[in-house]
Amino acid sequence: MASIAGLTLKTPRILAKTSDSPKTKAINNFSFPWKKRFNTQFPRLVAAAAPEGLSEKVAESIKTAEEACAEDPVSGECAAAWDEVEELSAAASHAKDKKKESDPLENYCKENPETDECRTYDN
Amino acid sequence: MAVSTVYTVLSLNSACSISKPNKTHLGFNQKQLVFFKKTTTITTTRRATTVITCSAGDTVVIGLAADSGCGKSTFMRRLTSVFGGAAEPPKGGNPDSNTLISDTTTVICLDDYHSLDRTGRKEKGVTALDPRANNFDLMYEQVKAIKNGVAVEKPIYNHVTGLIDPPELIKPPKIFVIEGLHPMYDARVRELLDFSIYLDISNEVKFAWKIQRDMAERGHSLESIKASIEARKPDFDAYIDPQKQYADAVIEVLPTQLIPDDNEGKVLRVRLIMKEGVKYFNPVYLFDEGSTISWIPCGRKLTCSYPGIKFSYGPETYFGHEVSVLEMDGQFDRLDELIYVESHLSNISTKFYGEVTQQMLKHADFPGSNNGTGLFQTIVGLKIRDLYEQIVASKTGAPLEATKA
Repeated sequence: MASIAGLTLKTPRILAKTSDSPKTKAINNFSFPWKKRFNTQFPRLVAAAAPEGLSEKVAESIKTAEEACAEDPVSGECAAAWDEVEELSAAASHAKDKKKESDPLENYCKENPETDECRTYDN
Repeated sequence: MAVSTVYTVLSLNSACSISKPNKTHLGFNQKQLVFFKKTTTITTTRRATTVITCSAGDTVVIGLAADSGCGKSTFMRRLTSVFGGAAEPPKGGNPDSNTLISDTTTVICLDDYHSLDRTGRKEKGVTALDPRANNFDLMYEQVKAIKNGVAVEKPIYNHVTGLIDPPELIKPPKIFVIEGLHPMYDARVRELLDFSIYLDISNEVKFAWKIQRDMAERGHSLESIKASIEARKPDFDAYIDPQKQYADAVIEVLPTQLIPDDNEGKVLRVRLIMKEGVKYFNPVYLFDEGSTISWIPCGRKLTCSYPGIKFSYGPETYFGHEVSVLEMDGQFDRLDELIYVESHLSNISTKFYGEVTQQMLKHADFPGSNNGTGLFQTIVGLKIRDLYEQIVASKTGAPLEATKA
């Protein structure tokens, strides 16, 4: 038990420099990624902040990757670090595209076509 | 205690199989299937599980190998649009799910079968391209289950947080597309695929596209983009690239040959490499099947602006297989160029004249809509639809034959 407690105490410190308030929820999931989480509410805060939060993540991951590769350019750590940069850049660009496309009225009407605002008359 | 008895149900749907409940390494239980049979002597302990009825098992499985594009990619949207209906993420589920569902099609992202999440990979020093970061056993089991008409609980890999989220239910659709880095890597999964596609982007084009995507991003510079590509290249060449030889169709994207020293990557040369002898798949051809053709449609009947369009078609050998290659270099500027080209292509499996053009216009805002990438992706979508219809026709034909005999 003590070791588990030790784990949970450790991880927030590592994340201290990257954590903002929207991400605190994500930290709870961080220590035991393999455990099934019956979250009734998914960490929407992280998703909503995607572009800004993701942009920061991308910038940080680039810095980490450059540091990791400065030591040993051919190591697995270097490759894994740049792979993370790639993954985050892809996620950031997808989030940007999603944001561009989302029209609040269209999204609402997709779910509720029978409401007054969303009724369409064909004839 | 798990129910260990398994009944094989001999019914009309002989394609159904019942899998024993398996505990995956993540601790997710696959759906337990218990068929409660009322007999005088045998009674089973009925647990609180849902009884899943098997569908007719006519799910067609398509594999698409593509780098860093998952479900949301343009190819998938074009493909699902050919079948009709817009593909959307599952409603009411995890907002960061990578799955797309439409009426006939379900697209899943193979990143969901990562065995290591982002921190795990960082610790071990492996990239996502490395097979060690992926659970191929689970991938095989679940794809097999879907193919046999059994719904599965598939884990979700959250690209935003880098964690593995609780699973979502995937019901067997008519067309099941698995998109990701390793659809053809594992031999068992390869056997399950009815058709496979590999999207091969050349290094120069990849670099140009990544610059367009990432330069606006804070923190990125030309050097960081270059370093990122270079660092992933060894793993990519070792694990992802060899899948090319197994694909039934390869879409190769190269820099154009029409503009000397072009490095913007705006005009592209796209080659559609189609394997010969694949069941239910008839390669597209120009004018005469099996001959070598070079065709520039721009001339008296059609006027094109610089740099124009150039087509070529011919038989070749690709990794020891006989293939037919259809190549397009240049871009479309106008609608009539597109319809003119479409009218000269054969074996494109359209249901009416102008279907390819209509599909391209429907998504005119997608990237690649004015060049070979959009054209060949749409054509591959139509070929897959044709393949699906042929498979379904042959399956409904077979039981009739059996009853006749």
